[in-house]
Amino acid sequence: MKVKLELFGASRDLSDKDFLEFNIEKKTSIKDLKKKIINYVDEKFKGNENYKKIIETSAFCSEDNNIISENYKITKDQKIGIIPPIGGG
Amino acid sequence: MLHAKIIDIKKEKIEVDKAENFISSSKFGASLIFKGTVRENNDNKKVTGITYDSHDAMVIKSFEEIYNDVDQKLKIKDKAVYIEHVKGYLGLGEISIIIAVACPHRAETYILSRYIIEEIKKRSPIWKKEHYENEESEWLKGNPIQAN
Repeated sequence: MKVKLELFGASRDLSDKDFLEFNIEKKTSIKDLKKKIINYVDEKFKGNENYKKIIETSAFCSEDNNIISENYKITKDQKIGIIPPIGGG
Repeated sequence: MLHAKIIDIKKEKIEVDKAENFISSSKFGASLIFKGTVRENNDNKKVTGITYDSHDAMVIKSFEEIYNDVDQKLKIKDKAVYIEHVKGYLGLGEISIIIAVACPHRAETYILSRYIIEEIKKRSPIWKKEHYENEESEWLKGNPIQAN
């Protein structure tokens, strides 16, 4: 299965594209997805601590634009948005 | 009555006149227009501009939720609310957000306008990347959104 992680805010620094793609097993949780993203940072950015902190403090949202908990299970190919700490205005 | 929109600054302008027209009604005896603009200094750094990023669908949803919460939390039922926020690059002094409100009485407009901007800062997925005189830039630290 594939998850397309849509990047926003500070997480955009993780790629030149607007998204990252991960191959995952069915019923992977958001908590596990976070670990995969951190592994990606370890490999691609030599474990950049600032990037890891962004991931640790981010929320995630589903395709229907709801914030989802760390226990949310991904059961099909889908888009997930990463929502780093916010501050508009 | 609510107008809520993200303005992609590459494609259109954010305009105070439109906000004023939207909230204008003889039902209301008080109106207030709040503008957020790009400031030249932050944390002792000389700012040259800000790039705003947004999760558009979630931002609009948050504006609607904030508007709907007003009835219950502030007991302000009769109101017009206009909220626009920019995404993209803005230079110094340019408008990033307009919150225009109108109510029957002045006290309600002050409360309502302040409530909306503070809730947006807590609930709307919008991010700022500041650009500095030395050509560096950085995403500003924000507040984590919590799952419901």
